[in-house]
Amino acid sequence: MDLINNLLLGFSSLAGWQPILIIVAGVILGIIAGAMPGLSPSTAVALLVPFSYTMEPGMALILLTSIYIASNYGGSITAVLINTPGTPSAAVTTLDGYPLTQKGEAGKGLGTALVASTIGGAVGVLILILFAVPLAKIALQFSSADYFALALFGLATVASMGSGNIAKALIAILFGLLIKTIGIDPISGVSRFTFGMDELYDGFNLIPALIGLFAVSVVFAKVEEWKMGSKGLVEVSNKLPSFSEFWKIKMTILRSSVIGTIIGIFPGAGATIASFISYDVAKRSSKTPEQFGKGSLEGVAAAEGANSSSVGGALVPLLALGIPGSATDAVLLGAFMLHDLNPGPLLFRDSPEIVYGIFTSLILANIIMLILGLYGNRAFIKVVSVPAKIMYPMILAIAIIGSFAVNGSLFDVAACIGFGVIGWLFKRFGYPVAPVVLGIVLGKMIEENYRRAVMMHGYSSFFMDKVSLVMLSLAAISFIYPIIKQLRKKNK
Amino acid sequence: MKTFKMLFLALTLVSMLLVGTSYGAFPKKPIKLIVYTKPGGAIDVFARKFQKIAKKYTDTTFVVVNKTGAGGVVAMKHVLSKRADGYMLAAVTRSNIGKMVSSKSNLKVDQFNWMAMMVSDPEAVITNRNQAINTWAQIVADAKAKGGNQLWVGPAAGGNDHIMALKTWQKAGIKAKWIPYGSGGKAMAALMGGHGVAYVGNPGDVIGKPDLKVAAISSKNRLTGKFANVPTFTELGIKNHDSEIMWRGFMTKKGIPAEAQTFYDKLFAKMNSDSDWQGYIQNLGANPIFYKQAKFTSIVKNDREVFTNTLKEIGAIK
Repeated sequence: MDLINNLLLGFSSLAGWQPILIIVAGVILGIIAGAMPGLSPSTAVALLVPFSYTMEPGMALILLTSIYIASNYGGSITAVLINTPGTPSAAVTTLDGYPLTQKGEAGKGLGTALVASTIGGAVGVLILILFAVPLAKIALQFSSADYFALALFGLATVASMGSGNIAKALIAILFGLLIKTIGIDPISGVSRFTFGMDELYDGFNLIPALIGLFAVSVVFAKVEEWKMGSKGLVEVSNKLPSFSEFWKIKMTILRSSVIGTIIGIFPGAGATIASFISYDVAKRSSKTPEQFGKGSLEGVAAAEGANSSSVGGALVPLLALGIPGSATDAVLLGAFMLHDLNPGPLLFRDSPEIVYGIFTSLILANIIMLILGLYGNRAFIKVVSVPAKIMYPMILAIAIIGSFAVNGSLFDVAACIGFGVIGWLFKRFGYPVAPVVLGIVLGKMIEENYRRAVMMHGYSSFFMDKVSLVMLSLAAISFIYPIIKQLRKKNK
Repeated sequence: MKTFKMLFLALTLVSMLLVGTSYGAFPKKPIKLIVYTKPGGAIDVFARKFQKIAKKYTDTTFVVVNKTGAGGVVAMKHVLSKRADGYMLAAVTRSNIGKMVSSKSNLKVDQFNWMAMMVSDPEAVITNRNQAINTWAQIVADAKAKGGNQLWVGPAAGGNDHIMALKTWQKAGIKAKWIPYGSGGKAMAALMGGHGVAYVGNPGDVIGKPDLKVAAISSKNRLTGKFANVPTFTELGIKNHDSEIMWRGFMTKKGIPAEAQTFYDKLFAKMNSDSDWQGYIQNLGANPIFYKQAKFTSIVKNDREVFTNTLKEIGAIK
């Protein structure tokens, strides 16, 4: 009953046109920022923090969380249409989203991404509202050994990405892991492979690397083809998936929403890992795994359901404990503090109207996102009909602006172009680029948790801890099984 | 002749006007306030509070500019790359000094004008209320029993908090292990989950987290308000361990015009006695202070030496 009363309190704080307008504005800003390569959810929220300082605390946080949830969806738009993930987690969305566009079914890709994002976002928020406190307590029990095992499990998903050639996918992921060794050593504080450059002290920024690998590489490949022409990229239909098509992937959407929320809860895991793991699970449990990578609606739904639901998950430790669960949460924590609020259990007691205002606004934000997305998709889809000779220079321009926007540094622009060349070489020789992103995202998590676990309890800690043991076994099975399957196929 | 006289008069007037405007007329345009974290970071909140309260005392706007990278080294180099006209102020913390050393940058303390140290935040040992070991005496007894295997969690190796831990162990005559995490928040999560016995940070870290408590602070006197019952190390029998702090303050590039210096000196003095400003800092469990150039610079120089020695000791630099 308490919960219902509090939720009513939350809804009452949204009464009036102003809060609704703020949510609409937040969702629009979030979708645009998410779609814009270079503006990740955390950057988008950070950009609006100074602006929100002059607002009432409740309204400020509603604005910021609306941006947070919408930007995770926004990333899928450019991922589906022009193979450029607008956010790191949308790298997984490109795997099946872009093939759909190439087949002329961009409408299906966008529609699936939108619906999966909405349902995922709603599931994440519902779990947040109902179980925030007990789930946060469980997340705290996770030791470094468990985090290491979780990250390794994430790494094992590479086996489902190589589309046939596991060796090439493995090389790609190792490349990503190697890139991540550049920068400060997370345990000892020694700087590694920086060659005295301050820009490399924190390692390569993920965003310029992402834009380079996915977007700039395609531009280079097109320049090489030298067939620009004045026709649009492809003939596309903006037809949404039919209801029966949605009905077929209902389980995938629900499963990925739960996976995304759970992974989101663990501080430091986050949307990108959630998307990779969810994609892997969806492929394994699919009746048509051979469609993955070629434009499977399930693939798009798995990635988008997971990254949107991870928002609700990541807010669990922030609101229940005052511990930021993601990079965006860290920015939100600062926004709370600017308004002299301290998230944590006491906030539920002292300012329930703020906590439940955020909860209810997140639900509303999801609904508004669905409506705006349905209208927006009709406009977004026109991007694909832009002639190639205009489209690709535009992509390059956006890539450069986007990587500059991350930190206002020309080094990031150079890094973006450099990764563009690497991505182009990878594609030319048939290496997938998504595993590189996975390697970069997981590299630090694997390294620091492994070393920390050993420092704390020695090498045996990975096997003494039950959670870690189970996850390590799962990782081993999910990694080895596809290899055996591939070998068997060859022998036949 | 008449026209010459008139021209002379006009020129004199114009030059007097020019002199008049340049003298004592800082600032003429908005001042950039450089912050080395993203919006929402602790120092960013600090800078924005300053920006808001400073409006009471000056018509000039402070524009917060976030320049992230290498724990502040990128921001410091940005300050150096501009003219020393006083229109670029930077918010700094003690951890920047550590990063100056650990990043092996060629930054020198003398290149900057360490203008005002405004916050002194005592370093604190923080424990989990729900664990059996949560007072300082219990920590010491447990450390002795475990013989060097007691786990302390905190942010990165070689930072403020690690140095505080090393000094605390040395002064208390105990041994323990420092387990570094990616951020203070993650380390606090580890303490809440019972993966370590103690966390090193500042009293403000426990605000809003009822499971955590401050077991001891490195300070000459007890704090006031909600931390009034926290014992100091001196009270707990650990001598000469009363001045480990995290500070926050402001600096510019060296060599700013005298009128800019006067403007800032006056502004910081007024800020320091402002009740909103004091309230904000005390709410964080820290002390509002105002150390001017000479004292601040000597503190920074000393800090640089401490960081250099510690980082060499733990092998992070040669």
